Amino acid sequence: MIEAVASFFVQHPLLWTFVKAVVLASFTLMIPLAVIYIERKVAGYIQSRLGPVHVGPQGTFQTVADALKLLLKEDIVPTGADRRFFYLAPYIAFISTVLSFMVLPFAPGWVALEMNVAVLFVLGVSLFNVVSILMAGWSSNNKYSLLGGLRAVAQLLSYEIPMVLSVLVVVFYTGSLSLTEIIEYQVKHGWNIWHPPVLIAALIYFICALAEINRTPFDLPEAESELVSGFNTEYSGMRFALFFASEFANNFFITAFAAALFFGGWDGPILPPIVWMFLKVFVMIFVFMWVRWTPPRLRIDQILRFAWQGLVPLSLLNLLFAIALGVR
Amino acid sequence: MEILSQGMVINVGPQHPSTHGVLRLILALDGEQILACEPVIGYLHRGLEKMMERRPYRHNIPFTDRLDYLAALSNNLGICQCIERLGAVEVPERAKYIRVLLMELQRIASHLVFLGTFGTDLGATTMFLYAFREREMVLDLLEECTGARLTYNWVRVGGVPDDLPEGFGQKVLDFIKLFRQRIDEYNQLLTRNRIFRSRTRGIGVLPKETALAYGCSGPVIRGSGVPYDIRKVALYEVYDRVEFEVPVFEQGDVWARYLVRMEEMRQSCRIIEQVIRDMPDGPVLTKLPKIFKPPAGIAYSRVESPRGELSFMMVSDGSPNPVRVHIRAPSFVNLSVLPRLLEGAKVADLVAILGSLDIVLGEIDR
Amino acid sequence: MVKRHAAEQERYNPFVMLADGLLTLFYGMLVTWRNLWRPKITVRYPYERRPVPPRYRGLFYLKWNEEKQRLNCVGCTLCAQACPTDVITMVKLGKGTHAGVSEFTMDLGRCMFCNLCVEACPFDAIYMGPAYELASERRDAAVFRIADLAQGGEEAVRKNIETIQRLMAEEEKAKPAAAHASEGHAS
Repeated sequence: MIEAVASFFVQHPLLWTFVKAVVLASFTLMIPLAVIYIERKVAGYIQSRLGPVHVGPQGTFQTVADALKLLLKEDIVPTGADRRFFYLAPYIAFISTVLSFMVLPFAPGWVALEMNVAVLFVLGVSLFNVVSILMAGWSSNNKYSLLGGLRAVAQLLSYEIPMVLSVLVVVFYTGSLSLTEIIEYQVKHGWNIWHPPVLIAALIYFICALAEINRTPFDLPEAESELVSGFNTEYSGMRFALFFASEFANNFFITAFAAALFFGGWDGPILPPIVWMFLKVFVMIFVFMWVRWTPPRLRIDQILRFAWQGLVPLSLLNLLFAIALGVR
Repeated sequence: MEILSQGMVINVGPQHPSTHGVLRLILALDGEQILACEPVIGYLHRGLEKMMERRPYRHNIPFTDRLDYLAALSNNLGICQCIERLGAVEVPERAKYIRVLLMELQRIASHLVFLGTFGTDLGATTMFLYAFREREMVLDLLEECTGARLTYNWVRVGGVPDDLPEGFGQKVLDFIKLFRQRIDEYNQLLTRNRIFRSRTRGIGVLPKETALAYGCSGPVIRGSGVPYDIRKVALYEVYDRVEFEVPVFEQGDVWARYLVRMEEMRQSCRIIEQVIRDMPDGPVLTKLPKIFKPPAGIAYSRVESPRGELSFMMVSDGSPNPVRVHIRAPSFVNLSVLPRLLEGAKVADLVAILGSLDIVLGEIDR
Repeated sequence: MVKRHAAEQERYNPFVMLADGLLTLFYGMLVTWRNLWRPKITVRYPYERRPVPPRYRGLFYLKWNEEKQRLNCVGCTLCAQACPTDVITMVKLGKGTHAGVSEFTMDLGRCMFCNLCVEACPFDAIYMGPAYELASERRDAAVFRIADLAQGGEEAVRKNIETIQRLMAEEEKAKPAAAHASEGHAS
């Protein structure tokens, strides 16, 4: 029977891609449950407290309970809000995350959409996130949301450039834009991170990643004590849940992207490749959380200045350094 | 280069995660810059001064707990000193030492709240949890002694209501030893952090003359270079017999005020150790007649609360109730300098500056 | 319309910023790492409760005297007079040496838990105990009657009233006898 199903899908490749898309979309909705639970537990332990313990064994069903709560909330749209954009914004954020997942190789052969320009595709699709935040901030008809949205857009756009430049270093080394080929190059030649320019590029990439997913010290767009909740102040119920879910799924994706580019993706001895992938991702997510709960946050002008006067020159110099070292 | 843009009026409403109480700020903004600010207070006004006119002197002491509720013992001490001045009541030596011990513990607790809330306002939420973890220990100590955790009501006209419980001194000394290490940890986590420094240095500079002109007191004025501490000026209770330094910093910015409070916590530890070592034995309360009628007159007393100069003025005409009570709250005067500090500052610095003034709305509104 | 000038530029060394920022960040992260492994301070209320110290100022209780089989309270109203917010009302029972109370009501909605009534009492009659879970869904649950406050509840209140009435009756009986004796002597 399995052969019958398999051959059916081989004849209709578009349908097979659709099935993969549905699986990934539900993955994008499910993975935040785990990531948010880990975030709350790690935050609690760092802060000398327990985190969720009540719902489910060791509090594992807490996020499920929260998701159910959000589902049951009333759908409030503020008066004077621009309805089209208000409704669209969460979906666009969600779509950008799902599209990014489509080209990520979880294990050898487990790619939803094999693309030979996967890196370019990912960097382009991440800009949808920016658009959705701008839409959300503008359409909420709220001064605080507008301020938050504008700040977020400025920050995200500024940190795209050093990110692209550091990814370019990896592309330069491996000579390909396709994620599968990058990982296979690392399987043959050792992980990319061992080259010094790639190490610096990875450092810059991590800082940009923190800024892209709005984490402290770059979380001014959602700073609670200053703007209530920034661009998603007026969102409630499932719309807010979608924003939240896509932010945490993006968390997962950015670290998975870093794992694929710098740390060899699913490469590793003994354990099955998918386990290595998840292991690398969760170690990096833990480091992100550790960084989140330590320093205070930067002001918007400091964030932008750091990006333009700090990271952009550094990443350009790093690229030159990589070219100088790697000219064969 | 001149950029033309339109101004915006924003209301940082009474309910806001960072206004430290029910304070309303009306801001006139131009993009990210604040042009003018007007604080609106009165959301917590309960008419305490009027209520105190209806009750005998002793009954007014529990109300003072609710003024600066983060440092309740300072308020109790303030009003009791004022009544003692009115009635020329003597306080036994041991009671004075106990009062100083409790005051300094209270100062540590209050500065820990400042530390926690200031860190949270700037984004370092972990600081809040650590500060409150240590504050829980202080509150446990005070609960053992007084029976309450926030509204202690543990100073009476003529001393303290009861002696310290058994073994209290040793428990306090154990806490101080642990606390000194924790202050070093806070420095490692927050004070040395580059991001923290760039958020607080050079922000909200209060020049010395302005601070003096507005009548600010406490860490606000000591962060601007004025070495004024009522514990050293008025030498009330046993502050003339303990050795401690008063930290003064010249810069006048948010960073300076933060450092003043951190250093004050260390000095409080020093004072507590000396007090426990030198405490004499003896009675702790001077008995007063049931109907206490001080002679007619006016008395004014001031104490160094963790927020600044807290003073009470009471007018008596020989009857059991006071004729007039006025409470000079340090946060009220410190808040008046906020519009000056915010002129030309950025919106993102509003929280840092407001947090560094460390106001409590309970005593602003009374 | 407001005119705004472009901000002045300060000297900014990106390498120093990045290096110093990362170094101090790691330095602070050591503190958070250390705290990750410290024991957690959460008390899982209501499954766990912390013990309260002996001086804790919780719900009031009227002391029961086992030898005299009555409550210590004699109804002198010193506590009611010491209270800043008029919490206590009582109804006195009997008079003289064997006085007591048949009703003792505290409206805890007005109470500040300031301890002044306990300090005012010269008869060891009222104390503040360790009970702090006083929340209720009903407005009138704030009013505590003598049966809620006495040590021993309804039973104690009943025995208190019995003892006082018995002692008052004995004193009544003793009086006519004394009057007779004095009359006898006089006449």
